[in-house]
Amino acid sequence: MRRSEVDGVKTLKRYLSLYRSFLSHNLKNEMIYRTNFLILIVMDFFFMGVNVVFFALILDKVESIGGWNFNQMLILIGTVGIVREMAYLTFRQGFLNIGDYIRTGEFDLLLVKPVSPQFHLGFRHISLTESLGEGIMGVLLVVTGYLRLPPEAALNIPVYIVFLLISLVIYYSFCLIVNSAVFWIIKSQELNTVVYYFMETARYPRDIFKGFGKALFTFVIPVSLIATTPASILAGKTDPRLLLLTAGVAAGLLLIGTMVWRVSIRHYSSASS
Amino acid sequence: MSIIEVRNLTKSFDYFKKEPGLLGSVKSLFWRETLYKDAIRNINFNIEEGELVGFLGPNGAGKTTTLKILAGILLPSGGSARVLGYEPWKRDRTYQKQFSIVMGQKNQLWWDLPAIESFSLNREIYEIPAEAYKKKLAELVEIMDLKDLLQIQVRKLSLGERMKCELVAALLHEPRVLFLDEPTIGLDVVSQEKIRQFIETYNQVSRTTILLTSHYMRDVERLCKRVLVIAGGGIIYDGSLEDLVNRYVDHKIVTVQFRRPVPEGPIARFGEVVERDGLHMVIKIPKKEVPQRVQEILAGFPVEDLSVEEVKIEEVIQKIFESGRKS
Repeated sequence: MRRSEVDGVKTLKRYLSLYRSFLSHNLKNEMIYRTNFLILIVMDFFFMGVNVVFFALILDKVESIGGWNFNQMLILIGTVGIVREMAYLTFRQGFLNIGDYIRTGEFDLLLVKPVSPQFHLGFRHISLTESLGEGIMGVLLVVTGYLRLPPEAALNIPVYIVFLLISLVIYYSFCLIVNSAVFWIIKSQELNTVVYYFMETARYPRDIFKGFGKALFTFVIPVSLIATTPASILAGKTDPRLLLLTAGVAAGLLLIGTMVWRVSIRHYSSASS
Repeated sequence: MSIIEVRNLTKSFDYFKKEPGLLGSVKSLFWRETLYKDAIRNINFNIEEGELVGFLGPNGAGKTTTLKILAGILLPSGGSARVLGYEPWKRDRTYQKQFSIVMGQKNQLWWDLPAIESFSLNREIYEIPAEAYKKKLAELVEIMDLKDLLQIQVRKLSLGERMKCELVAALLHEPRVLFLDEPTIGLDVVSQEKIRQFIETYNQVSRTTILLTSHYMRDVERLCKRVLVIAGGGIIYDGSLEDLVNRYVDHKIVTVQFRRPVPEGPIARFGEVVERDGLHMVIKIPKKEVPQRVQEILAGFPVEDLSVEEVKIEEVIQKIFESGRKS
């Protein structure tokens, strides 16, 4: 291996091991507040159940939504839940806290640590339980939908998992870009409410958007790809062009997000005192 | 080469002028006047390895801003600074592993977890070898007397205990340079003293270079042979605390309680009368003349009580701050 590759592997190892430490710290933290845990799961089950009933009622009247039948919709709704839980297991909680970090000045203490602040803030706060109900329910819905559909090639499952991760990258980059505004407006609550409401639309198949709306929800607000792309793989709707598009958007957004974030930190370092 | 070199360092920032009241707030949504302020202006100083230097100055003088620049948190607007040969704001990882900053009002410990968990996370972040970590932790816990507190949730600790833990967290990677911003703020007198003792010992034993800011004169008086006084964004004094006091104070304070009313005129010949209230009078008398003048007062006036005092360091500093602000 070349030297740069060796360094790359070393960095990756270091960040993985840091992630493990953050995870274990947060789990210990969450266990302290056990009662929260049950309530959250029950709530998640309830709201996802409402979603299923909602689409069941609609699909009772119409044949399909944007070409997706009920079983395919189960996979789509379930995928949203899985992506959400994955996000809470990685970066989501950190972005929810970013405003506090800046307001209290504790962000300064992250900047002086020998770890990329983008990584440090993004992964310092991890929550297993915040969205666990959605995660479990998500897996159940995806499995149910998948089993009720005509059988497909088994290779679809690993491809599905890979695209779940790619969706996570899109979601992360989107959060990164939106939350960069926090360095100007200090409060992050509103920003994350925006992210939340856009994520709520992820459960509608991308195919219902047309023309301008489709472009908007693909490139500017990339939410329409987050669940539709992975779900399409298990729903027997695999379209290589969509897979390529999704991977491309993920790479592009991650690059843009990282750049925006750097500019924002520079602004923070120049403007505050 | 000095361990810290600061040349013509300047930092200005802009802020918005907001008119008071709701109307002002609404107006400021549409139109705001941008104002510029120099937090620090052309400051220069050098610090040698192992020094413990106090940074004195009134609120808003630029102490914290300077520390933040040296820690790489802020970008300066002009001038240069080097710490251990690094430009701090490049945030070089090798530099970041060699210094620490502790801010009295900000905490880096995990609130809901015992302090030991935060320490072990720092071990990971600073990539401290397991053996070195164990040794250093044991040593710090011993000096700080923290053994029984390590397993307690941080939020249940007192402010003083928490500050001790903050210091431990900051020192585990054995930084060569330590920036302390108001490390004793808000602590009770006993805890303050413990923190001071620790800083003093640590500086002597480890030869760590320490730059400390504080409101409390006791901190600086006790710990720092050398002080930098910053006021109005500039450094107005760099030297020992003793010299500082001698330079600015050439008199003592004589307080006299008379038995009968005495006119001010004849007393004013001895020195400046700074306070007068019935039979009570406070006079500033040049240091060298004090014995002579006190005798004359005792001999020539109906004195009930008389005392001679040194000017308080706080007041000296206050005076210097004020003169710095005017200039």
